[in-house]
Amino acid sequence: MMKGILADTTRCIGCRGCQVACKQQHDLDAQKTLFFWGDGYQNPPHRTAETWNLVTFNDARSENGYEWVFGRRQCFHCMEPACVAACPVEALKKTPEGPVVYDTSRCIGCRYCQIVCPFNAPRFEWNKRVPEIRKCNMCADRMARGEHPACTVTCATGALLFGDRKALLAEAWTRIKKDPDRYVNHIYGENEVGGTCVLHLAKVPFERIGYPAGLSDAPFPNQIKTAMHAIPYAMTGMAAVFGGLAWIINRRMSAEEKDGQEENDS
Amino acid sequence: MTNHWIDMANADVIMVCGSNVVENHPIAAKWLQRAREKGARILSVDPRYTRTSSFADLYCKMRSGTDIALVGGMINYALENGRIHHNYVVSYTNAPFIVSKNFNFHEGLFSGYDPATRSYGGSSWAFEMDEKGIPRQDPTLQHERCVFQLMKKHFARYNPETVCNVTGAPRDVFDKICNIYTATCEPDKAGTWLYAMGATQSTHGTQNIRAYAILQLLLGNIGVAGGGVNALRGESNVQGSTDMALLYHILPGYLKSPEQKDKTLEEYLKNYTPVTKDPESANWWGNTPKYLVSLLKAWYGDFAGPENEFAFQYLPKRSSDCSYMSLFESMSEGSIEGLVLFGQNPAVSGPNVGKEREALSRLKWMVAVDLFETETAAFWKRPGQDPKAVSTEVFLLPAASSLEKEGSITNSGRWAQWRYRAVEPPGDARPDLWTLDSLHKAVKAEYQAGGVFPEPITRLSWDYGGDTLMGPDVHRIAREINGYFTQNAEIKGKQFVRGQQVPSFASLADDGSTCSGNWLYCGSYPGDKKTDNRMARRGTEDAPNHIGLYPGWAWCWPVNRRILYNRASVDEQGRPWNPAKYVIKWDPHLKKWAGDVPDGGWPPGIRHPFIMKPDGYGCLWAGGLKDGPLPEHYEPFESPVNNLFSPQQNDPAVSLRYRAATGSIPFGTPNLFPVVATTYRMTEHWQSGAMTRNTPWLAELVPNMFAELGEELAREKGIKNGDRIIVESARGRVEVYALVSPRFSPFALSGKIVHQIGLVWHFGYEGLATGDSANLLTPDIGDPNTMIPEYKAFLCRVSKA
Repeated sequence: MMKGILADTTRCIGCRGCQVACKQQHDLDAQKTLFFWGDGYQNPPHRTAETWNLVTFNDARSENGYEWVFGRRQCFHCMEPACVAACPVEALKKTPEGPVVYDTSRCIGCRYCQIVCPFNAPRFEWNKRVPEIRKCNMCADRMARGEHPACTVTCATGALLFGDRKALLAEAWTRIKKDPDRYVNHIYGENEVGGTCVLHLAKVPFERIGYPAGLSDAPFPNQIKTAMHAIPYAMTGMAAVFGGLAWIINRRMSAEEKDGQEENDS
Repeated sequence: MTNHWIDMANADVIMVCGSNVVENHPIAAKWLQRAREKGARILSVDPRYTRTSSFADLYCKMRSGTDIALVGGMINYALENGRIHHNYVVSYTNAPFIVSKNFNFHEGLFSGYDPATRSYGGSSWAFEMDEKGIPRQDPTLQHERCVFQLMKKHFARYNPETVCNVTGAPRDVFDKICNIYTATCEPDKAGTWLYAMGATQSTHGTQNIRAYAILQLLLGNIGVAGGGVNALRGESNVQGSTDMALLYHILPGYLKSPEQKDKTLEEYLKNYTPVTKDPESANWWGNTPKYLVSLLKAWYGDFAGPENEFAFQYLPKRSSDCSYMSLFESMSEGSIEGLVLFGQNPAVSGPNVGKEREALSRLKWMVAVDLFETETAAFWKRPGQDPKAVSTEVFLLPAASSLEKEGSITNSGRWAQWRYRAVEPPGDARPDLWTLDSLHKAVKAEYQAGGVFPEPITRLSWDYGGDTLMGPDVHRIAREINGYFTQNAEIKGKQFVRGQQVPSFASLADDGSTCSGNWLYCGSYPGDKKTDNRMARRGTEDAPNHIGLYPGWAWCWPVNRRILYNRASVDEQGRPWNPAKYVIKWDPHLKKWAGDVPDGGWPPGIRHPFIMKPDGYGCLWAGGLKDGPLPEHYEPFESPVNNLFSPQQNDPAVSLRYRAATGSIPFGTPNLFPVVATTYRMTEHWQSGAMTRNTPWLAELVPNMFAELGEELAREKGIKNGDRIIVESARGRVEVYALVSPRFSPFALSGKIVHQIGLVWHFGYEGLATGDSANLLTPDIGDPNTMIPEYKAFLCRVSKA
């Protein structure tokens, strides 16, 4: 049964317990900075190889006045991950339980996954001599022990809920229907890029709090697949075309040479 | 708290005023979320839009230090619109009581004021007594001098226009707040009031809380599920610490600490044991002699007996104000030799820390018992201080953290929850019990060899076993705090033997037959075995009334009563005002109470519910405070405007002795310091930052000191988000980052635009993340009743660095 996380940002108090719980669980380093970034206390500025889960602070101004809205950036654990499709060495894998995990011993640091991910989840170890990719793995090791991801356990208000993806979707729609004034009528991640295991609810439009907008519902592997699968044909085709061209040009050149020789001979 | 954390989920309206609950008590957000799922609305009143405001349904802006104006306005609204729980007010509060005809209120001053001593005196605030010695009442609430009418007249001045001109609250939002909150006057609706330092840290802090209490009493919100006046304590065990009297003016269990005028035990008991002539008043503090004598027996054992006033003369008698600020004043003058600090960092957390840091150098020695080397422990080498110029000898003793020792922690809801040792303390770190025990033994040895008046130390009953590594056996101490019989006794037909634990404070006596280290905790450990430790219980079953009492989880004082004053939640027949969420209810057939532990087991209608007051009634009128029987708005000591309510600018009873003593006046005026400033806390850091600024993941979240200012003020000063700025007050100067945000906006006060900024106070010069301390700016002036400093409202000026 595929699991997921429902992040109801209307219940988020921006405490960043989830951000710290993740660091503690995976023994990630703290980053030294001078000050906050953005509309509030956001820090570190962005996700890195040592910050897999980041709470964002967003000033949302509307005709209702000012609201401070908290968002979340982490790996979305897509149902059909682009990173898995793009990885040349199959270091990334989508598990049946939900998490998209990665094997650091296979990673060659090529960063293809980073380039294709619509959510910018994989982060590169810029400061290492043998750099690899790192990202949230939905605490797959905890899940294997029957425990829940560290961020969901820490969340005091239940803004982060762990469970079956189908059940989470049902719960999310129940909340939206019960309180239509409170929620944007959309579950982010239900269908985007073929659906993700990390689902979000919000009280303001998602693009206002930094979530990538305009993503199609088609899974990225499908989009990449066409291009990727076309490569052998394209290569063969191009080889045939250029080979053909080369043969024609060659023939002409040797015919020209022959002409020239014939002229010289007479 | 009168109620407790889980009970917040029972509220229909949650008022967060004087607190930033979601920020500083994030786990409480769980209960607020539950309340919301049941339809509750959350209101956030704050000078700044906080994380609580983000979570709340409605945010109302209010200038720092103007709570009484705002809440006075809500009280006026309730009285004008009949939004009161009438039966409750008439039967359970002192609304009908008739006040002395000598009472007067004029131009901001109550009758009896002496400007020379800056104090109130006389008896003009007293009630008129009848021939039986009981206050006269008018149950129709019409008598012109009954409390209800005096209050109506007093708060009629708190009309919405004036309130909004003083507080800067937008009129439409203020009206909404009044309407939503006072709707909880219905018997089946409850409003809970959550407050913390925003309310208390003011020169009129006590009266702030009084205003909340008056409104809650008018609405019938005390003693009911989802109601209460609920202080959110700032430390996980500070409730325990005040219970055990870590404040200068009390003994354990909130008994009064003796002053020099209390020359004998008899005089002391006469001075502090309230009496009542009303047979229907339980007057629970009338038991003071039992609790005080039992305390003395716990401390002095067989050395305390009727022949020597139970060792009363061994107690130090203070000369009056020994408050925190007074201590540092004395330290500055050189009259304090030594200072022992247990997890306390005055160099960051006190008011006017520039002065405090200098005062520390007048000490001969200092002992800092802490987890880290704090700013205070390192004061002698702080930036700008030449260590050679300081002759104080500083001892830094490593302390075990709360995970490295066993004992109880008492939360804001009075729940004492037992904790266990999860890991061994590192290196030489020791539990505080070990340190205190060792200190006592060493001091005792010195006194046994000589010294003036050694008995108070040498005769202390101090036998707690334990081992040399971890110190005394905390269970023995907990059992002594509960108390035991010092001799065989019979109480209501039941036999007790000498040494047996006392079952509850009802069994404590004033003849020396019982001892108890803290009468409030009597009943927490009623037997000898560890399994008798009720604080260690973890029962997860709720009581039959299903309001989240969880009576089997840990133990709360008093006697495991989870909601205080719960007799006010029923009518005089014992029927709950709100049967759906009853706290207690009387079964007339079984002749028993069901639900929570009733606030006194008597049948309904024969005792007034507010048993801790001498007359048994909830106080709308409180004649025992230093600055008035009713709250009145005064401006904070440093204020940008004149008081609109009266010519009396500040609380008239605030002590100005420091001002007089030092000759200089370190207070700012609006022409030099035009911006209002406040200090506050963040989720990511805690208190003086000793622990959190030494934790890399937390230092990462909030790496540096900053001041938050509104976009309008920033534009005026040419300041952008992330710029370095200087904030100055009459006392000091800090250089910090600017956080420019929409969460502060200017206040329109009678047409005058006033800006406010805020500074977090968690920073200092030690640790991984360092920065200037906000308390370099704050004023060392305090509330007349409690001496708590006015950290929350003062004046400053802001400029680019």
